[in-house]
Amino acid sequence: MTPTLRIAQLVLRHQLTRARLGLWVAVTAVVVLLGIVIGREIGVDAREQQDAAAGLTFLLGLGLVVPVIALVFGSSSLGDLQDDETMVYVWLRPVPRWTVVLGAVAAVLVVVVPAAVVPFTIAALAITRDSGTITGVVLSTALAAAAYGAVFTVVGLRVRRSLIWGLVYVFIWEFFVATAASGAARISINAYPASVLTELAEVPDTGAVQGLTSGLIVPVVVVAAAIAIGSWMLDRLDVA
Amino acid sequence: MPPPPNVRVSVQGVSKRFGSLVAVSDVSFGLGPGVTALLGPNGAGKSTLIRLLCGLTAPTTGVVQVEGGNPRTDRVSRSRLGLVPQQDGVFERDTVLEFVRFGAELAGLTDADAATRRALARVELSPDLDRPIGAFSKGMRQRAKIASALVHDPTVLVLDEPLNGLDPKQRRQMIELFRELGEEGRTVLVSSHVLDEVERFGSRVLVIAKGRLAAEGDFRAIRSLMDDQPLRFRVACGHPHALGARLLETGLITSVEVDGDELVLTTERAPDVRRAVARVAADLPTRLDEFVPLDDDLEAVFRYLVG
Repeated sequence: MTPTLRIAQLVLRHQLTRARLGLWVAVTAVVVLLGIVIGREIGVDAREQQDAAAGLTFLLGLGLVVPVIALVFGSSSLGDLQDDETMVYVWLRPVPRWTVVLGAVAAVLVVVVPAAVVPFTIAALAITRDSGTITGVVLSTALAAAAYGAVFTVVGLRVRRSLIWGLVYVFIWEFFVATAASGAARISINAYPASVLTELAEVPDTGAVQGLTSGLIVPVVVVAAAIAIGSWMLDRLDVA
Repeated sequence: MPPPPNVRVSVQGVSKRFGSLVAVSDVSFGLGPGVTALLGPNGAGKSTLIRLLCGLTAPTTGVVQVEGGNPRTDRVSRSRLGLVPQQDGVFERDTVLEFVRFGAELAGLTDADAATRRALARVELSPDLDRPIGAFSKGMRQRAKIASALVHDPTVLVLDEPLNGLDPKQRRQMIELFRELGEEGRTVLVSSHVLDEVERFGSRVLVIAKGRLAAEGDFRAIRSLMDDQPLRFRVACGHPHALGARLLETGLITSVEVDGDELVLTTERAPDVRRAVARVAADLPTRLDEFVPLDDDLEAVFRYLVG
C-alpha cells in the first residue's frame, strides 16, 4: 500500500465516528424530507419544479449543509491528529509532506462528496425529473464538497477550534455575505459550484456570477491549492 | 569529557524561545553510539530539547543534525530516527499490529509485515492481540510505542520519559531493552526526571536545568561531585540520641537533629558517613532500621549543579 493510501485509510478510520455519521444521517433525513414536502406542494409546472430543486440546493445545500458537512469531516481529519497528539507518528516518517495532505484530502473527499451529493440528489429527484437540473445538483454539490473539504482539511491542520471558526465563516461569509453581494461572491467558494448549478439547471437567478467553465475549474484549482498550501504548512508545523 | 566517537546527533548552540519564555538556551552536545540519559526535573526543557532534536519544532537559533541532516527538512535523516514520545496518544482504534505496521509502511520497508513482527517480538508483544491499543494498559501501550519507533531499524532512538507509569518489573525490562539497544551500536537517548532510573541506563548523562545544559559526562563523576556537598541522611534506630552522639564524635557529621526514633544527619563527607553509620550502630545496643539519603534525588543534583 502506498503511503498516500495508508494515510487516507488512517484518516478515514479516525474521522468516521458515530457522532459524525449520526449527524450526516440526520441531515440527510431532513434534506430528503424537505425535498419530498416541496415536491408534493409544488405544481406540475416543470419550470417551477426546476427552480424549486435548484433553489433548495443553492440555499440550503451550497450555502449551508454542504460546507458544514465538509467542515465537520475536513477539520477533523488532520486536526484530530494534532489534537490527540498522534501527528508525530505521521510527521516523523520519511514521506513527502504532500503525500500526507493528499492522503488526508482524499479521505475527506471520499466521505464528504457522497455525503453532500446523495441527500440533495434524492431531494431534487423528489421535486423534478429534469436531467439538466439533476446533473447540476450532482455536479455542484460534488464540486462544493470537494473544494470545502480540501480547504477545511488544511484549516484544521493549523487553526485550533477550527470547527467553531469554520461555522462562523460558513454562516457569516458563505451563507449571508456571499449570497447577498455579487462582489463578495467572486471570492467565495460557494459562487463557483452555484454557477454550475445555474448553467445546467437553466435557472435564471441563484445569485451566481461565474460561468460554467470557471464554475467547473475553480473548485478543482481550490483543491490543488489547498493540497499545496497544506504541504507547505505541514512542513513548518510545530508538532506536539 | 571528549565528544563521543562517531557522532550521530549534533546539537550546536541551540536555543528555543516561546515568546518571552526561553525553554532551551544555547545548548550544545554530541551523541554517539550507546545509551545516554537526558536528566532534568519536570519543566527543565527536556521535552522541548527532544522535540528540537527530532525536528518536531525549529530552533530559534542553532543547528540540529541527525546522521548529518536536519531531521526537520531531511527525509533521510528522519528515516534514521525513531522517537517514543512522552504523550499517551496512539491510534486508539488500531490493533498493535496495525499501529506498528503503519510506521513500517510509511518508512517504505519492502517487507513491512516481517519488520512489524520483529519489532513486536523485541518488546515482547504478540502480533495476534486483536483488541485496540486504546484498551491496552500503560505498560503495553508504551511497548507498542517503542515497537513503532524501532520498526524501521533506526540508528538513533529517542525516548521521552519512557518509564513513566510503568511498574517496577516493567521498568527493569525496559531498562534492559535500552541497554541492549545501546550495546547493538544504536544511539539511544532516554530522558528521565528520576535519578535512580538514570543510574541504571548507562554511564553517560546530559543534565538539563532551566533550559541550559548544566552538566555532561559520566554519571558517577557527577555523583561523586555531589558527595562533596553538604548532604542529609535520615537514620531510624532504637537509640537515636546515642547514635547521634557517637556519630558527632567521629567528626564526619556537621549537625544532628533528633525527631522521635529518627535522626537527621548533615555531612560534607557522605561516602565516609555511609560506611561509618553501620559500624557505629553495631557498637551500640540498638538496631539500625533505616538509612536514607534525603538529598540523593534529582532536585539535589540540580541544586548542586545549577547553584
